[in-house]
Amino acid sequence: MNNKDNAPDKSRRDFITKLIMGGGLIASSGLLLRNGLDYLFPDSDAKPLRKLLVGRVDEIKTGEAKEFKIGNDSLFLIKNEEGYKVFSAVCTHLGCKINWEAHRNRFYCPCHKGIFDANGNVVEGPPPRALDEFKVEIDKNLVYMWIKDNRGGQV
Amino acid sequence: MSENNNSLRIQKLLVGLFSILLLIILIIVAAVEMKQTKEPKLIVEISGENANCVNCHTQKGIAVKSIDLWKKSLHAEQNISCIDCHTAEEGDFDAFYCPESDYLVARHPTPKDCAVCHADQVNEFTDSKHAHQFWLINNTDRAIFENPISTRHGCEQCHNIGIVWPDQSVGECDACHPKHSFDIAVARQPETCGECHIGPDHPHIEIYLESKHGNMFRAKEKELDLNYNTTENEDIPIDMPVCTTCHMDGNKTQPMTHNVSERLAWEAQSPWSSRTVWNEKELGDWKMKRARMQSTCENCHAPDFVSTYLLTADLVNLQYNEIRRTFVQWNKKLTEKGIVDRLVKDGIFYSDPTLSGWDEKSEVLLYNGWHHEGRRFRHGAIMMGADYTQWHGIWEIQQDLVELFTFAAEYGDPEAKKWVESNDPIKFAPYALYDIPGNAFGINVLANTLPYVYNAYPDYWERIQANVKTAYENNLLSEEQWLLWSKRFENKDHYLGTKYNADSLFQFYKDRNALDTKAFTKDGVDLKLPGKPFWTW
Amino acid sequence: MNRISTHFNKRVPLKKEKLSGIIEALNEQLPAHMKNWYYALGATPLILFLFMIVTGILLTFYYIPSPEKAYESVRHITEDVSLGYWIRGLHRWASNLMVIAIFLHMTRVFFTRGYRKPRELNWIVGILMLFTTLALCFTGYSLIYNQLSYWAAIVGTNMIKEIPLVGTAILSFLRGGEEVTSNTLTRFFNLHIIFLPAILLALIVMHIILVRLHGVSNIDDNVEEKTYSFFPGHFYHTIIIALFLLTFLSALSVILPPGLGEQADPLNTPAHIKPEWYFFAVYSILKFIPLKAGIYLFAALALAATFWPFLENGLRRKWPDLKMLYWIGSLTIIIFLFFTVYEILVQ
Repeated sequence: MNNKDNAPDKSRRDFITKLIMGGGLIASSGLLLRNGLDYLFPDSDAKPLRKLLVGRVDEIKTGEAKEFKIGNDSLFLIKNEEGYKVFSAVCTHLGCKINWEAHRNRFYCPCHKGIFDANGNVVEGPPPRALDEFKVEIDKNLVYMWIKDNRGGQV
Repeated sequence: MSENNNSLRIQKLLVGLFSILLLIILIIVAAVEMKQTKEPKLIVEISGENANCVNCHTQKGIAVKSIDLWKKSLHAEQNISCIDCHTAEEGDFDAFYCPESDYLVARHPTPKDCAVCHADQVNEFTDSKHAHQFWLINNTDRAIFENPISTRHGCEQCHNIGIVWPDQSVGECDACHPKHSFDIAVARQPETCGECHIGPDHPHIEIYLESKHGNMFRAKEKELDLNYNTTENEDIPIDMPVCTTCHMDGNKTQPMTHNVSERLAWEAQSPWSSRTVWNEKELGDWKMKRARMQSTCENCHAPDFVSTYLLTADLVNLQYNEIRRTFVQWNKKLTEKGIVDRLVKDGIFYSDPTLSGWDEKSEVLLYNGWHHEGRRFRHGAIMMGADYTQWHGIWEIQQDLVELFTFAAEYGDPEAKKWVESNDPIKFAPYALYDIPGNAFGINVLANTLPYVYNAYPDYWERIQANVKTAYENNLLSEEQWLLWSKRFENKDHYLGTKYNADSLFQFYKDRNALDTKAFTKDGVDLKLPGKPFWTW
Repeated sequence: MNRISTHFNKRVPLKKEKLSGIIEALNEQLPAHMKNWYYALGATPLILFLFMIVTGILLTFYYIPSPEKAYESVRHITEDVSLGYWIRGLHRWASNLMVIAIFLHMTRVFFTRGYRKPRELNWIVGILMLFTTLALCFTGYSLIYNQLSYWAAIVGTNMIKEIPLVGTAILSFLRGGEEVTSNTLTRFFNLHIIFLPAILLALIVMHIILVRLHGVSNIDDNVEEKTYSFFPGHFYHTIIIALFLLTFLSALSVILPPGLGEQADPLNTPAHIKPEWYFFAVYSILKFIPLKAGIYLFAALALAATFWPFLENGLRRKWPDLKMLYWIGSLTIIIFLFFTVYEILVQ
């Protein structure tokens, strides 16, 4: 009959056709799905950072900590041998607010007796991980911390 | 059914083709970003003690706009709020308890408080003439001539920029970047400087707005964003200068400074112009300061133009001194003759006119010739305000001189009488002259054919050269300036334009002018109205 | 492998006999004339409707139906949200294309007399679908809450008040009160995202079932035509149309992104209020004749359109040849286009 019906040629052509069609459909569906998911999930990373002033260099000495608030969140500025650090005052166990015990050089959580050292690491008790730490910058005699700049996101 | 199979295959290929097209467009879609129409606004977090300040003030309705302004500031963005500046300790001169509370706060944050974070700026400012107490050292206007209540919102308001606080700090930081937004754009706005740098004795804002710089600024003002930083040595971000551009802002060649004295080479406000010696240890001599200003100008202008322009302005300053000399000499002469009386107390002779009654014309002319006309003359020359150099400057100074000599002649001084009775055109140059061949703007073939001195004195330029040389030798002009001047002197025919000829062109305009003259003669001078005036002589 | 399939078959008892109906439907023979692309004009609105549903659902993730926040949430979607402009653009362009496709489909059905006995009911369902779609467009555009949406909503609902007998009741129902308030926005939101789509979906199902039940009508009883099967031939047509539409609409979203306009200001009536383009003809004609007369006119036209198959039967008895059909159809289209273009050009 027709040359076009010859079995090997036909099956090869059929295969290539199926490949193009199938491949095209899978690829475009994949990208469609990816774009849709990108739309649905708001950008949580890659947010710009901004800095806040938290204290002066001469305000606290080594081994001292200062508690302060940003909005409703409590934080600690501490100066230890490694320098200045800013920790969240929220215990990583179940969220109670921790206290600084200067005489024992440690953070103490009264809820379940969790203990963190001056570097925010867990020493004793139920907390599963170290205290949340924020990036610190020293500019001349001022101490800044860096936080996420949220201004683009909300309606 | 092969036909069917074929068409089916085509269908399948078409599906593949279209899905690939879709793929391409989806990639493009993912890459495109929409243009923002709204500036995202930061929501300021107010916490701890400051929440109490804000809440109580808002509730009581006290200075609530200050809080609104603060919320828009960079301070608020960085969590620097009320108590950080208004912190007070017991015994501070301005410490007080907020009413109905136990908060001890400072009523007057001073530069000492600002210096906690902005130490560099405060130090630079304190070292500048903005912090200088000259107005208290030379204070007879306020101490004698005007009564205190009248100076509270007058002299004291502008000179508050150099206020000396009880805590030994000096200055009013919010004079330029106002509280509580501390907006830099406001600081850069020329009218901010113009709050004080204004008026008949130093019309700086007026001169600026007359100048090309100010005119360009006005034309493009709405498009300019003055809220920028020049702390990194980068290019000037705006296309035309504002006050701070030349006097404070950083650029590629130098850093930003709050010390306005760093780039000024003349004391052009003093009774006698002199080269600045302000803090030479740290700022260098006047040549260093002039170099800073010059390299700032050269961000926009050709070095040649800058040098010629500044040299010409410098010669104006020097010329002023010679005119001043005339005023001073004559006042001395008239004092010796007893025509002008001066205050002498405990054997000390006071030359300040306000101390001697402000009543003799020549001493008033001496004062105004410096304080008003003389300053306008100098400042207009160096800051491109031509009207102030001319009609509010030299023209009025010359009028003052005429009045001075007339006054002296009335009181019988023979030299003055001779001057008054003379018709010699050269009488209006009773002092040594400075000059420079041509100006910085171009070669004008006709302008320099006309001055009387050029035509009447063949040795004019040699006499000028001698004066300029003396100024150079006395460190009033730099070597580069002397060489520049000499180059122009050697080629004066070119720079004065006298080498070239535009006589026929001039004739064209002279003919036209004749027509104008004819017209006003016919329309004005020769018009005879019928009848008599109502008042008959 | 066998254990798993037995496991599956026990819980989902798919029996060959029960599936036969579906397989038969897939292999249904369609007349060859349907290979022409303009016979795909029925599937196009359906595909676009599916796009509208998907993009619409995605949009509700970010849209806030309150007068204070509506505009800002739409701006947020368009400018801030990743690919928000694309989803919104698809929604907007698909809605425009859907109206165009429906008009073209109606035109095709009209001129090929696909509504002939026994298919009159399907025509009526189709007209109802047209009205529902236009209502969806109207409510949808009002949700943006820019100046045009707000004032078009006021003017549009004001016109409804003029409908005799039921006008005021319908107005009150739509607005959630006498005036346009936040109730109105909530109601329009509800109508747009569930009430009207549910009605339209039911009508679509009815429409397709009726088509399947009757089978495709032959052109003027030409029974001798060749046939081809629905799957895979016509099915591939549909897939290609879907892919093409998605590509085309995405391209439109990039080149002509959806705009925002000015935020609605109840205190400021804009100088020119216009509805969306598909309402231009009606809007324009209503400006030339008194409002009440216009409402009556369009009510009459709507009824005539709905019951056209029966009306046509009556008309055919008087003028038996086909030309009358072409006259009425062409005249309607020309008048519609004329007044649409006129309204575009006039300020």
